[in-house]
Amino acid sequence: MKLSRDAAEALAAEYVLGTLRGPARKRFAALAATDATAANAMRRWETAFAPLADALPPVEPSERVWRTIRAAIAPRAPGTPSFWKSFGLVAGGMASVFVAFFLWTAVAPTPEPVFVSMLMGPDNTARMEVSMYKPDVVRVKMMKPWKDMPGKGLELWVLPREGKPRSIGMVKNDMSETVIRIAENDPRVEGARGLAISMEPMTGSPTGQPTGPVLCSGTIAAVRQT
Amino acid sequence: MSEALEDLVARTALGDRAAFERLYLATRSKLFAVSLRIVRERALAEEVLQDSFVNIWRRASDYAAAKSAPMTWMTAIVRNRSVDLVRRTREEPDVDDTLVAGLADENAAPERDAAARADAHSLKRCLAELDPEQRQTIALAFFHGLTHSELAAHLRRPLGTVKTHVRRGLIRLRECLDRKGVSA
Repeated sequence: MKLSRDAAEALAAEYVLGTLRGPARKRFAALAATDATAANAMRRWETAFAPLADALPPVEPSERVWRTIRAAIAPRAPGTPSFWKSFGLVAGGMASVFVAFFLWTAVAPTPEPVFVSMLMGPDNTARMEVSMYKPDVVRVKMMKPWKDMPGKGLELWVLPREGKPRSIGMVKNDMSETVIRIAENDPRVEGARGLAISMEPMTGSPTGQPTGPVLCSGTIAAVRQT
Repeated sequence: MSEALEDLVARTALGDRAAFERLYLATRSKLFAVSLRIVRERALAEEVLQDSFVNIWRRASDYAAAKSAPMTWMTAIVRNRSVDLVRRTREEPDVDDTLVAGLADENAAPERDAAARADAHSLKRCLAELDPEQRQTIALAFFHGLTHSELAAHLRRPLGTVKTHVRRGLIRLRECLDRKGVSA
């Protein structure tokens, strides 16, 4: 469905106001999810009316609201569908990552790494160590490969401080070391705060974003300037 | 304030539960007020708030800071959920007319930053430019989530007249806001 600008504007206004109801409301919501004109009109109206909502005197909800929300987003068993949720799920292993990082730097000879990150599975087992000693090489040392993954591969992602995950490449699912060459000052590594492995087709994610479950992840304490 | 909220949404997108909790604490009472006006029952409004925040947690990585302020984005989620829910349960509209009357009052809302204050000021001025009936129908619909028929019943006006007030009021509001160059 393609609407004229005026029609999109009128529907967006009544959608945001709340007077567009029933099937028409659902149709417009679906349209706004795919059509930029409708989406822009909707956002403009949301912004226009924002001061009205802000004028309402605040009302305190009961304590149990947060308890319910917290329970609803609590980590679950492996196989959670959402990439980000899965990352949150394994990010709990953060403390051990820091310990690993400091232990390593305490005993390591030069050169100083850009980063070393231990990727942990949801069950808190160390799966692999991802490190960068040179500004253009990412090394992945497998510690515990996955069994029973016919036709599936492991894709390594950088989780930036802001925005979507960035693919670094595929990692071999065996005890060998994977060496991935990247560019010096590779923009994919900039602002990295974490790393994650997702299960993807052997040739990598078809969409450029993680599609399979997150198998393990870790944080990056600090990325040294290279 | 809005900068801090943007930061909290960004951290939420990365699965940071502590940041998400702070986001909840910072916004819950405003968002609960928005929902409560529309659904009118505390239990239902709490359900809306729960659903909305679970949604915010899941969709935080889709949030585009460049396109709308965090509070605008979250308010839209809460309002939409409220409107979806209220249709099933509402009997009689319960309306706070002082809220509606205060709409064109310049001093009603203490806005935080200068841009928000300017936008709020423009909106008030533009609402003040509407015919009183247009202003009233728009305010009733916005604050209380009334449908066209509920508006007609509450205002004791024919349905067609109410629809016209809403439609024309919104067109005039948009023209006025564009003239004043309201952001976004």
